[in-house]
Amino acid sequence: MAKKIKENKKIDIKDNVILSIQNASYQYSDATSDEYAIKNISYDFEKGKIYAIRGRSGSGKTTLLSLISGLERCTEGTILFDGKDLKDINLDTYRNSQIGIVFQSYNLLPYMTASENIILSLDASGQKIDNKKQKAIELMESVGLKSDYADRRVLRLSGGEQQRVAIARSLSYNPKMIVADEPTGNLDKQTESEILDIFKKLAHEEGKCVIIVTHSPNVCEIVDEIYDLKKVK
Amino acid sequence: MFIFKNAWISITRNKGRNILIGAIILVIACACTITLAINNTASDLINSYSNSYQKELTLSFDRKQMMKDFDTNGEEGREQAKEKFENIASYSVDDVATFAENDHIESYYYTYSFSLNGNSIEKAEIETESQPGGFGGRPNGKGQNKNSLDFTLNGYSSIESMSEFINGTYTMSEIRDNAWDIAFDGNYVFINKELADYNELVLNDKIKLEDEDGNTYEFEIIGIFEDNEKSVDSMMSMFSNSANTIVTNANALVNIDNSNDSIKGSINPTFIIDDYENAEAIQSDFYEKGLDETYVVQTNQETAEAAVTSVKNVKSFATTFLIITLLIGGVVLFILNMINIRERKYEIGVFRTIGISKLKLTMQFASELLVVAFVALIIGAGVGATMSKPVSNSLLSSEIESSTNSSEQMKNNFGGMGERPDGSGGNRGGNMPDFNKMSGTPNIQAYDSIDAVVNITVILELLVIGLSLVFVSSLASMISIQRFSPLTILKERS
Repeated sequence: MAKKIKENKKIDIKDNVILSIQNASYQYSDATSDEYAIKNISYDFEKGKIYAIRGRSGSGKTTLLSLISGLERCTEGTILFDGKDLKDINLDTYRNSQIGIVFQSYNLLPYMTASENIILSLDASGQKIDNKKQKAIELMESVGLKSDYADRRVLRLSGGEQQRVAIARSLSYNPKMIVADEPTGNLDKQTESEILDIFKKLAHEEGKCVIIVTHSPNVCEIVDEIYDLKKVK
Repeated sequence: MFIFKNAWISITRNKGRNILIGAIILVIACACTITLAINNTASDLINSYSNSYQKELTLSFDRKQMMKDFDTNGEEGREQAKEKFENIASYSVDDVATFAENDHIESYYYTYSFSLNGNSIEKAEIETESQPGGFGGRPNGKGQNKNSLDFTLNGYSSIESMSEFINGTYTMSEIRDNAWDIAFDGNYVFINKELADYNELVLNDKIKLEDEDGNTYEFEIIGIFEDNEKSVDSMMSMFSNSANTIVTNANALVNIDNSNDSIKGSINPTFIIDDYENAEAIQSDFYEKGLDETYVVQTNQETAEAAVTSVKNVKSFATTFLIITLLIGGVVLFILNMINIRERKYEIGVFRTIGISKLKLTMQFASELLVVAFVALIIGAGVGATMSKPVSNSLLSSEIESSTNSSEQMKNNFGGMGERPDGSGGNRGGNMPDFNKMSGTPNIQAYDSIDAVVNITVILELLVIGLSLVFVSSLASMISIQRFSPLTILKERS
């Protein structure tokens, strides 16, 4: 069961809440009737804050992240984004315009350059931008990457650089919310700190809601709130 | 749309994968081009040959039909058969003209023949012990024997009836300038060079022939021909079969025949018909017009079709090869596409995660495959076009060789003379089967190269077949994209 540490769970949507999970449960299609990946989860996420979701392996962290990012729909309960039920929203549009997703393994396309990965996301969002390459370079610079890296294949970048590209990609369509799955899991301490600074800036200066699924104590130290997930028994 | 841009990036950055798919499609395209080119060209050849080949109908005497009513083992039966045979009504030039008044008959020509003795000239003949007189030393001739007259006169009604000259059996070695202007009217003749040499005759000489009653007829020589036919005679002979054959026009012979009752000429008509299917209707019409029912009509359909047997065999082989290529190619492409999609699962997960819809993703993957397929098909068509000509000619040459061999084999089967292939009889010196025409070998020589051409039709067929094959073989993999869950993919990745 989920445990909220810093704040009691609230089901009523406050003005500042961008995402509200209400009694959400998820069962895999091949699961038995009483087998849940997550069960009766209720969390609220506000704009301008960083959240951490913690839990042991098998506690349903990735499943929860998938529900939040619209990769799956919850089998029971409701998830409201900006007051709208995700069940009523086209999840492809939701993913390419409202929410940015960052993964531990970066999930960049290896045969593309850094800028092409970002432009791909810009294209998917349907934004009309005259110079997409310039926009991609600006995004890269905003996460601390030199413009020289724009034309490099992502496989020629370090882990930290790839993660910055992934973050830049997630920011390309200026989403209201960033969801990150173990974003610093493959990075050294120094780089981890730099990446977390980016997230803090996005939340506290740009007013985005950042949700980080993590094991890392370093991450938990910088977040505003932590949700602990426990394995469903 | 950006999916096409992505497709292009994917194609150019994943060369190994796309070259492999392209190579397989190229091989299929190459094989398809060759087979389609052969198929289409062979069809054109068959059609054009069918259109250009004169559909001929001739009359022949059905001996079997006549003899079946008589017991020829007994004396009485043989007498009855003989009487019946003598009473069979023959047909005249006028009858033939009447027969030809039929909607299915486009034109007709005929040869008119009888024999005369020499008067001013001698028959080209040297009697040897190996040349029994009973067979006249001419097994392929017109049934000459000791009691027959010296010269066979063959009168042709028109130039198109001169089949020996058309098929190259006879070639003119000397000819008077205006010969063809007068050849079909008046007492003008073409004689064999051997006969000319034997009697020391030259162009413009006049020769005299006589009938059994001693009436003489004068002819002027306007041409001398040579017989190119290789003798199938097992017996030694100094002269060719046609040495004593005199070629003239039908009018001259009909006039002589009409003026003298002792001459019994025979007419051999050939009708040019519109379609072989109407042969039976034409026969019925002939019977209604008085043709004796012991005569039957025969067409040259078998000969005409035999001429394109080799081309048909190549066409059939090409079709079978095409089907097998498409089946194997389709299976290989299907497997390759499935492997390809499984390999690109991660990529699919990334695309889906950043919000690219399944439809757009499917379109991107399909367009990647189509671009690779299209390029491979075009290159394959080019390679196939280059290879189709030598390949098709090589295939046809083996067919011609096999056809020639079977023709030779048929000759050997009959010992070069004797029985008809249908076992209906024939005697030494009588009507020999024309072995060459049976296998169509002489006619197929005209198609000693098929020269398959890759034209716009072949290219269009190739594109339709190729793209359909790519579409069908990639359908399963495209459907599988719809079933991939990004969550599952990314979990597997983690």
